[in-house]
Amino acid sequence: MQTSRRGALALSALSALAAGGASAQTGPAMTLTMACMNDPFATVLARLAPRYAERTGVRVNVDILSYAELLSRITADFVGRTRNYDLCTMDIVWAGQFAEAGHTIELSPLMQRDAAEIAVDDIYQAALLGIGNFRGRQIAFPFAAYVNVLAFRRDLFERAGLQPPQTMADLVTAAQRLTDAPNNIYGWAANGRRGAPVAQDWMIYNAQIGGSILGPDGRPAINSATNARSLTVYRDLFRMAAPPGAVNYDWAARHEAFRQGIVAQHQIWTISIPSYENPEISRIVGRTGIILAPTAEGMPKRYGIGGWGLGINAAIDERRREAAWGFIKWAASAEVQRRFLDANVGVFTRRSVVNDPALRARFPFFSVVDESLANGDADFRPRIPQYPQIQDLLGTAVNAVLVGTADPQRALDDAQARAARLF
Amino acid sequence: MSSRRLARRAGQASLLLALIVFLFPIAWLFATAYKRAGDIFAIPPVLTFTPSLRNFTTLFEFFDVPQLVLNSVIISFGTAGLALALGTPAAYALARLETRWAHTIAYGFLAIRMIPPVAILIPFYLMMRDVGLLGTYWALIILDAMQSTSFVVWMMFGYFRAVPKEIEEAAVVDGCTQWGTFIRVVLPCVVPGLIASALFCIIFAWNNFIFPSFLTNASTRPLSVAMISAYGSNEINWGTMGALAHFSVLPIVALALLLNRYFVQGLTRGVH
Amino acid sequence: MPGIRLGFTARRRLFLVMIGLPAVLYMVLVAFWPLSQGLAYSFTDYTLTRPGPVNWVGLENYADMFADPAAQRAIVNTFVFTLAAVGLQLLAGLGLALLLWPDSRFNRICLALMLIPITVTPLAVGLIFRAMLEPDFGILGYWARVWGLSPARGYLADENLALATLIVIDVWEWTPLVALILLAGLKSLPTDVLEAAEVDGASRFQRFHRIILPMLLPAIFLALVMRSMDAFKIYDSVFVTTGGGPDNATNVLMFHAAKIGLEFFQIGAASAISTFMLACVGLMSVSFVLMIRHAERRLGSR
Repeated sequence: MQTSRRGALALSALSALAAGGASAQTGPAMTLTMACMNDPFATVLARLAPRYAERTGVRVNVDILSYAELLSRITADFVGRTRNYDLCTMDIVWAGQFAEAGHTIELSPLMQRDAAEIAVDDIYQAALLGIGNFRGRQIAFPFAAYVNVLAFRRDLFERAGLQPPQTMADLVTAAQRLTDAPNNIYGWAANGRRGAPVAQDWMIYNAQIGGSILGPDGRPAINSATNARSLTVYRDLFRMAAPPGAVNYDWAARHEAFRQGIVAQHQIWTISIPSYENPEISRIVGRTGIILAPTAEGMPKRYGIGGWGLGINAAIDERRREAAWGFIKWAASAEVQRRFLDANVGVFTRRSVVNDPALRARFPFFSVVDESLANGDADFRPRIPQYPQIQDLLGTAVNAVLVGTADPQRALDDAQARAARLF
Repeated sequence: MSSRRLARRAGQASLLLALIVFLFPIAWLFATAYKRAGDIFAIPPVLTFTPSLRNFTTLFEFFDVPQLVLNSVIISFGTAGLALALGTPAAYALARLETRWAHTIAYGFLAIRMIPPVAILIPFYLMMRDVGLLGTYWALIILDAMQSTSFVVWMMFGYFRAVPKEIEEAAVVDGCTQWGTFIRVVLPCVVPGLIASALFCIIFAWNNFIFPSFLTNASTRPLSVAMISAYGSNEINWGTMGALAHFSVLPIVALALLLNRYFVQGLTRGVH
Repeated sequence: MPGIRLGFTARRRLFLVMIGLPAVLYMVLVAFWPLSQGLAYSFTDYTLTRPGPVNWVGLENYADMFADPAAQRAIVNTFVFTLAAVGLQLLAGLGLALLLWPDSRFNRICLALMLIPITVTPLAVGLIFRAMLEPDFGILGYWARVWGLSPARGYLADENLALATLIVIDVWEWTPLVALILLAGLKSLPTDVLEAAEVDGASRFQRFHRIILPMLLPAIFLALVMRSMDAFKIYDSVFVTTGGGPDNATNVLMFHAAKIGLEFFQIGAASAISTFMLACVGLMSVSFVLMIRHAERRLGSR
């Protein structure tokens, strides 16, 4: 009996050794290049890539690029089939373009094959379907889901005796009450700059009031009555409660304003939250509260989500695709997702990670994240191939309304006319 | 006498004022490199801050700064070299060819600078792909040299016209070949112009952003592109940008100071 | 003897053409070939990301451009920007050049230091000014707003002042270069003519108007043409400060073309805009040449 058990142990030890040795030998030794957005997760990936190389022999060069540069370069790379990049980070709104043009490969077969490894059920449905899935085709894998939440200054709200807003009406009231311009405090802020900044911010508030860019038939319905009303509210909020420079804010400027303490509340992507607690750059450490983004009274509760997925270049060969898929699985695995959060980078893709007790204790607002993702709305920005043009149309129209050179209904009518021509 | 002294003092005061206007934003950018990020946009804004070198250490952690500087140097000097090699003989030819078209052709060369980058970016990108030069220094040098060559031709055209023909004729009589005359007799007369042109080419190539961002990859990327990667969607990393600006601005300033003598002298003749 | 001289001239001609040929060939290959491709694209509906055949659409891209209010505004803005910025740079540059003309250690140091703005990449210049002019926390913008010198939104967010602000930024960045070119022109003026004028009792203003200015025309021309060609292609500062806003107030042709070409990937439409830009700059340059020739004839004939 003892000999056979020892024998069995020896055998299993040997096979484990052989298997380990085999994988070190058969594991491909190659270098992949990844085009990565310069959001906070980029530096974490760059730091962790060497460890991935040690483990698998696959070196991944993380090339960090700014947003506009990223899209232009990878598109040129894909269309020109120059194979400079094996993988890329894909913004949630690019899914339509990418799917239509066939830039990245369809991941469903790989996902099915490795279903146990990737534990698809652990990933929030909204993230899985929202990021990288377009009309049934999964052309990118979610690895950095963002949630839209409301960040507010607890100290300012308490001082004024106000409860954090639950509905949009509450938000407007609080914004008005808290604005104290002579003392450099403004009740609310959002992006006003022409182009992507203002378009995306307005779209999210619009969705929370019940408006929608596309109609039920999937075609533009930009000039609906609800949209016009929400645009009026947006404009009025700017006039009443936003810092004077908000009309030209983009995300960077808006976060700076909040960190400098002049804004009482604003809606943000979770990726920015840790920066508020960093004493090096923030003057409001410890004074920020995070709650669910408010929706209009009586509306079903849906919360905007966004974020990034990883896609594999359709022009590269089978071997490289397999290696890239290995990296994607690793980046989206619970272990690595946890590393992001440990490094204070707010990406939330897996339920198990978001509900991890240790992390919950450290970051209480994760409960907000969990609920938002469970009822996530990935389509408040239409993820269709014509998205860049639609975003630009809205970006000009909304900016014109904020600046005062156009009236909401007229601006939206005009945008609608142009959008219709795209189809 | 005293009114002249007064005029001179007034002139110097105006120059000092101009200096402050031109240098203040640069000083601000450089200062951001030494500030803690929270101080960069303190409200209300003040000029004082507690210095820190954190941004520099972060910079070196995430960027291979020596490689970036090397890339910028290779691209700029390569562009200037290629532009001078192509443009100088062409300018000489235009200056010496007794044809009415010379002026027009010189203008034509200058017209190359009119081309908006976006017009040729994608076609050029595909062209480079087809010859396999994408991502190398050469793709960028070739493209930058196009605009620089046109500038060199224009500049040196005026220069060569100012060189008296007698010198060349004397050399030919002495038995010098055409090429020899060009290299050994004519070129030394226009050295200040060559240096000034080279300096301009270097500066324009060093600061170019659109072409490098498309045509280089991570290992050949120059400083100008790296600086802009600090422009994030959530925040602009001013500290990094300010720190990187040191490496982007100071070498060129040093070069300009070194060649200051030639710079002014160089343009002196070339404008005719 | 005559036989040898004829041979020499022909040989010389050949030599000159041969050494000039590489540059011309280079231009044809690197500049004209992609450019003609771009021109060809401008008559099609080529979209980089849409698979499928590319269709000939004739002048449709051009017609769309002229009918689009955003593009119309871009055309106006680009011309206004170019003429105003270059004009101001010439004036300020001339002033600086005159101040720096006398040779002194102070002046040489001033000139060297003043060249620093040119050495910063234009995109970074845009970012610097955007940060400084921010009305809520910028080092200049905040105080301008508080002291009532700027509208509450800040210069860059005001429909009437945004373009002017961009012009000021461009003037800041490039005046030193113009000053350098004009200074070189001043230093190349023959001193004997200047001294003779002074001896003749001509007043300062007369000296300037009648003698200096006409002889400075070539330098002015160089600065004018160089700067206007670059100013017409303004992009970086618009991209980082206003995104073309507020409401098209700072939309310029290159920004518009880059958006259509590199964000929407509509290469055909973007090529039409850049071809149009090329035509405009060409026309502008030709008119400058004619203007300078005319001025030369009028002033230089003395």
